[in-house]
Amino acid sequence: MSALLEVTSISVSFDGFKAINDLSFEIGGQELRAIIGPNGAGKTTFMDIVTGKTRPDAGRVRFGEPQLDLLRLSESQIARAGVGRKFQRPTVFEAQSVRDNLMMALSNDRLPLAVLRYKPSTADTDRVSALAEEIGLSSELDRTAGQLSHGQKQWLEIGMLLAQEPKLLLVDEPAAGMTLGERQHTTDLLRRAAETRAVVVVEHDMEFVRRLDCKVTVLHEGSVLAEGTLDHVTANSEVIDVYLGR
Amino acid sequence: MQRSLFVRQPSVLIFIGLLAAFTIAITVLSEGFGLGLVSTSFIKILGKTLCLCLVAIAMDLVWGYCGILSLGHFAFFGLGGYMIGMWLMYERTKDIVIASLAGAELPATAEEIREGIGTQIFGVVGGAEIPVVWYFADSLWAQLALVVLVPGLLALVFGWLAFRSRVTGVYLSILTQAMTLALSLYLFQNDSGLRGNNGLSGLQNIPGLTHLPQAVVSVWFFLASAFALGVGYLVAAWVVSGKFGSVVRAIRDDETRIRFMGYPVEAYKLVVFTLTAVIAAIAGALYYPQAGIINPAEIAPIASIYLAVWVAIGGRGRLYGAVIGAATVSLLSSWFTGGQAPSIPLGFYTIDWVDWWQVLLGLGFVLVTLFVPKGIGGLFDRLVRKDAS
Repeated sequence: MSALLEVTSISVSFDGFKAINDLSFEIGGQELRAIIGPNGAGKTTFMDIVTGKTRPDAGRVRFGEPQLDLLRLSESQIARAGVGRKFQRPTVFEAQSVRDNLMMALSNDRLPLAVLRYKPSTADTDRVSALAEEIGLSSELDRTAGQLSHGQKQWLEIGMLLAQEPKLLLVDEPAAGMTLGERQHTTDLLRRAAETRAVVVVEHDMEFVRRLDCKVTVLHEGSVLAEGTLDHVTANSEVIDVYLGR
Repeated sequence: MQRSLFVRQPSVLIFIGLLAAFTIAITVLSEGFGLGLVSTSFIKILGKTLCLCLVAIAMDLVWGYCGILSLGHFAFFGLGGYMIGMWLMYERTKDIVIASLAGAELPATAEEIREGIGTQIFGVVGGAEIPVVWYFADSLWAQLALVVLVPGLLALVFGWLAFRSRVTGVYLSILTQAMTLALSLYLFQNDSGLRGNNGLSGLQNIPGLTHLPQAVVSVWFFLASAFALGVGYLVAAWVVSGKFGSVVRAIRDDETRIRFMGYPVEAYKLVVFTLTAVIAAIAGALYYPQAGIINPAEIAPIASIYLAVWVAIGGRGRLYGAVIGAATVSLLSSWFTGGQAPSIPLGFYTIDWVDWWQVLLGLGFVLVTLFVPKGIGGLFDRLVRKDAS
């Protein structure tokens, strides 16, 4: 099986600091993967590179079938090619309703003139209802997103990402600041999402990673330190030294 | 489509209704068409105010909705005025030249007429040649097209360069201000071809309509301005109401996020910037025939800053707010600076409003920012919410 995302020996440095150092990474079409690592391990920079926010000094990033060279595309082109990204802080458009947030995210034509003429079709409104159902916000559709609780905002954002129908979903610390019940819901959402697409979760919280029950990649100083099941990597003595700390 | 717009934004219908009622009332009270209770000069002030409201809507669209604090929209307004002014001045001068040559024994040749026009218009800047930028000045239709094309293309090229380089926030404001200043300074030069600091004058005399008294012409322009404001308001409301409006507000609130959702942010900004520049230019083309004169001082950066102040006082991100702000501040401004406001003698010092108006405006701006950050228009929110509950 060829990989959906192929990252080959990328490096990037900021003012001499090597944030990513000869990193290679691969993920298949329907896979859930967790990336863990201490602060400064390059987790966010890795996401920045895949989504086009940061350009690496060296290396290749290939995506999809037929393969696209993501390094030649802009952020919005990468997003349209099928890479969705969830940021650490929940970023929904707080001044607008839950419905409008989801409508914007639907995978329709995104160019200005098409959007200017856009009228929601029945399929679109149905899709928004279905998404709202899935993220548990059916009764909140007409509320302003800013009035939602922290956890609800996280779900709305995940719902918006699902609406984009990405082939690859990058999720940065989804569990931060969530209650136990909210975490359970989030885990379910992510695992369901990974049945039809690739999902990469960056997370600090070991307990949450354990819930995800998936392959884990450990980053350290900008490169891959270990890869495997959570039990496998946590048994690795190097991982214990740099991350779990002893 | 229209119906759904009115249902989604009831304020649009209210605004159009009020504008229509106001327009009819003023026409009935005017000297030109009715009871003569409203003087011609006041009709002109009202007509000009409507044009300022239209440019304020453009400013609200680009700043209030899209988050681009442009300090260049009054430059587009002025350019629109210059474009129509060229035709007005050329044709009127032509009529005068033809009339003065009519008494001669031989009929005037086209060459003589052209020379006469050149001397009449450009003698003041020490020239007699008609500059090449006046090539189309004898055609109303060409100049009307240029009203849209010149500011539109300038906005398109400037916007493309600025947005493509991801210049945002205060840096973009500075850049737009630099553009405005450069344009103003260029027009101040005598060899810019637009009569330097003299500007274009006599624009209130409409060629072909000189037999009509100003009382009548002023009402026509007032009506045209009201119509343009109504159409502009509808266009702006339509643009911001649907998904496009959602995306534009999303750009204002979190540009990065919407970019990662796959929206080409730069293209959206360019569309909004150019569209609003064109609206501003149309407003300017209606304003200056009522003002009678345009010169480069009109385009000075301070004018664009005032525009931002109007919109801020009226309330950003709500179209009627822009209209309220522009109308209130510009009418108050003409009252205070027109010498009508009574001076306040304090014994040791006399407060003369011509000088102190700006202080008052600045104070008002600070107070609005501090106590009603949503502007005057924001006060309607409270009213509506009280009714609903």
